[in-house]
Amino acid sequence: MIIENEYPPYFEWLLAAGINPGALWIWLLTVFCLLVVGLLASFIVLTARHGPAKAGDLIFKALAGVANDVVHTSPRRVYALARLAVQEAIRRRVLVGFMLFILILLFAGWFLDPGRTDPAKLYLSFVINATSYLVLFLALVLSAFSLPADLQNKTIYTIVTKPVRPAEVVLGRTLGFAAVCTGLLVVMGVLSYAFVVRTLDHTHSLTADDLAPKAPTENGTVPPNRTGTTARHRHEVKSDQIKRLAEEGQAVTETEQGHYHEITAVTRDGVTEYRLGPPLGQLKARVPVRGTLSFRDRGGKPAEKGINVGNEWMYHSYIEGGTPAAGIWRFSGVTRDHFPNGVVLEMAIRVFRSFKGVVDQPILGSITLRNPDTRVEHLLENFQAKEYAVDQHLVPLELDNLEDPQGPKIDLFGELVSSDGELEVEIRCLERAQFYGLAQPSVYLLRREGTPWVNFAKGYVAIWLQMVLVTAFGVMWSTFLNGPVALLATLGSMVGGFFVTFLQSLALNRSLGGGTFESLIRIGQQKNLTEQLEQNFTSAVAVGLDKVTRIPLFVVSRVLPNLRELNDVQYVADGYDISADLLAIHLTTGLGYFIPVLLLGFLFFKLREVAK
Amino acid sequence: MMQSQAVALEAPPGAAQPTGTDVIIETRNLSKIYRDFWGRQKVRALKALDLEVRRGEIFGLLGPNGSGKTTTIKLLLGLLFPTSGQALVFGKDASDVTKNERIGYLPEESYLYRFLNAEETLDFYGRLFDMPPEVRRQRTADLIHLVKLDWAKRRQLKEYSKGMTRRIGLAQALINDPELIVLDEPTTGLDPIGCREMKDLILELRDRGKTVLMCSHLLADVQDVCDRIAILHQGELKELGRVDSLLKIRDVTEIRASGLSDAAKEEIKSVIARHSGQLVSMDNPTSTLEELFLSIVQDSEARPGRRARVEQ
Repeated sequence: MIIENEYPPYFEWLLAAGINPGALWIWLLTVFCLLVVGLLASFIVLTARHGPAKAGDLIFKALAGVANDVVHTSPRRVYALARLAVQEAIRRRVLVGFMLFILILLFAGWFLDPGRTDPAKLYLSFVINATSYLVLFLALVLSAFSLPADLQNKTIYTIVTKPVRPAEVVLGRTLGFAAVCTGLLVVMGVLSYAFVVRTLDHTHSLTADDLAPKAPTENGTVPPNRTGTTARHRHEVKSDQIKRLAEEGQAVTETEQGHYHEITAVTRDGVTEYRLGPPLGQLKARVPVRGTLSFRDRGGKPAEKGINVGNEWMYHSYIEGGTPAAGIWRFSGVTRDHFPNGVVLEMAIRVFRSFKGVVDQPILGSITLRNPDTRVEHLLENFQAKEYAVDQHLVPLELDNLEDPQGPKIDLFGELVSSDGELEVEIRCLERAQFYGLAQPSVYLLRREGTPWVNFAKGYVAIWLQMVLVTAFGVMWSTFLNGPVALLATLGSMVGGFFVTFLQSLALNRSLGGGTFESLIRIGQQKNLTEQLEQNFTSAVAVGLDKVTRIPLFVVSRVLPNLRELNDVQYVADGYDISADLLAIHLTTGLGYFIPVLLLGFLFFKLREVAK
Repeated sequence: MMQSQAVALEAPPGAAQPTGTDVIIETRNLSKIYRDFWGRQKVRALKALDLEVRRGEIFGLLGPNGSGKTTTIKLLLGLLFPTSGQALVFGKDASDVTKNERIGYLPEESYLYRFLNAEETLDFYGRLFDMPPEVRRQRTADLIHLVKLDWAKRRQLKEYSKGMTRRIGLAQALINDPELIVLDEPTTGLDPIGCREMKDLILELRDRGKTVLMCSHLLADVQDVCDRIAILHQGELKELGRVDSLLKIRDVTEIRASGLSDAAKEEIKSVIARHSGQLVSMDNPTSTLEELFLSIVQDSEARPGRRARVEQ
């Protein structure tokens, strides 16, 4: 698989990105709108109870109080309250969650299939998801029940009768629980990484017989030389590597399940033994260089998009095989400094077959490199599109001249890359009536391999961010709701956060099958999503109610954090480096939610009576 | 229970000595109505209370259960918001948290974190006053010594008896060396010795220039220590004044003398009759049970092992 979400550079995202006005301005506008709406609603309610003058006075005092609290917040008091929260969390057996995690790891091996195409992805996504759900659950329970318990036990009396500001109580709790969960997360992260590395570690047997030339089978094919089977797979050893092994005593196996092994030949007392090292290239953190994609239609003319082959995941545009139709990527920053050993091209191309053909036979395509300035081009190779896998191609510094094999080699940077470091890569499908599905991230240059454990840690930063937000929401709700209700409210915020995109589609009436009420009728009448509803009173009422609920849904979908988007598990599992830009965007987004949620918590706690 | 600790109870430098005129607490027309979720009136807990507590006095709030004593204290501490009227402490509105810098509060049940030990508890509350670490450590040690909990300072509060919890509760109330000490039922849960020591400490605090506001329904305690009292009933102020003048029975004269013979007693009776007075009683006074108990315990501590004298 390939990561398809693209993010602009951080400052472009923050201040302005293309037609988007910039995240900061959207945030300020949203906060301003919510503030105005909140103030108006408070003013109306308070006016009804106390009259306009008193209402204005109360609102002013509340806002001034919160501002005053924020300004006079004492780090020492916040630290004391955070420390208390940590002690409380430990007393509330938070470590049980940790024990549960250990149990999950111990028995995970029973349920995870090591024979999958990409076991690293399976194990990584498993441990990250397990950690994520456990930590989020702990954060949820800790944060939602703490303040209500203090209010119920009246221990809060001895706190708020000290010079402690409501802001400090809320901030202390939030930071304390976040600290506990952070500690757990760090330990779980280290254990998870050790678990993944340890579980993926294996080797294979290899004997002289395995490397001996094989006799052809009945149908004339020569079986490959392969290692012994471990973890439900084995590796082929190509003849050139067998030759290298004999000459240099070192060779490598073919890649299987996303990894390969180094082979070392050791001769002792005239007997040669072959040893395979640990799996290599299994955990990746690829740093891609993305290009911009343009198309050429079947007539060879520039086109904005390819063909739509139906509802086959609209994200991809398709090009028709056996025609001049092509997808052309233009990459910038292709310099000798960045790619000293040649350019590694990686691609994940979709295939759409208009006829079945030989199903297990890949569809043929071609890769052409072109200098955008001089238009000099070179056919790199014809390839077979591997679906659902990342296919790697090396563009060496000097390429063979296919048109004139005796002539001089083609210099990659001298001839195919423009003077300002630009390179075009053209992909075509060569088989008639078959199609390639392309999207901008489908082809990229591999700039370098990042450090897998650092990338893993970055993935945990994303979980940490989710946890901090859940904690902040939990504490905020618990400032005025009792424990179970605060838990439900936080859970609701979490679930809403994970389904923000769906909520937005409901709010904007882009969801198939209509809104909540219309869907209810469909369920009752057993109608599918596309079927027209009967025009009657009930359906009219349902559609009307959906229209009304769209407004609060729109507000909720705009206000809740998109927790799914903040989660970078996919990057780590698929072996892509989480860029500094992406990390900064997510951290800033988290902060953008954290601050208003905290301020709301301050306000709610300040406005409530602590005693009953 | 409590030992006199100059360090722990010292008045802050520059603190005003009791003058009896500075108003520390003032309530103006203070009312509180408890409402239900829908805003409907449930209880009218306090009705237009006007009260002043002056610097250096021990002020007692008296009343039966539900009379509004605790509500008044909660309003003064900002734990509740008044429905109408105003509560001022040190001239500041009760909702102003900065006033808490000078207040110590012992709640009715010593609501403390039971998973902390005595040292951690005091250290935690010390941090809430933004105290530097060395001051915090010193005050923690002094107060633990004051409330005689040195032997149990490392034990979690959940292992404490009710009396011990009251003591550590009192220590947390004094952690900031407050000018105003608010005590809600201070003697609840204490044994007679503890009660006596608590009362002695309250008097000592007053002598050191502190102001004490306490509420209790144990009338003897209030009578023993309070300079002035307010009696509340059903949320209304029924009586306010100095304890000695409120309790004085102006038309009865009490003479206490020792070593009088029976003849002398008869003569006194005749003098009363001669002056048209009415003899209410002439008897040997009894001690209080508290005094008897304390003397026995003191005697027992002085001479351990001595058996009790059983009187049939």
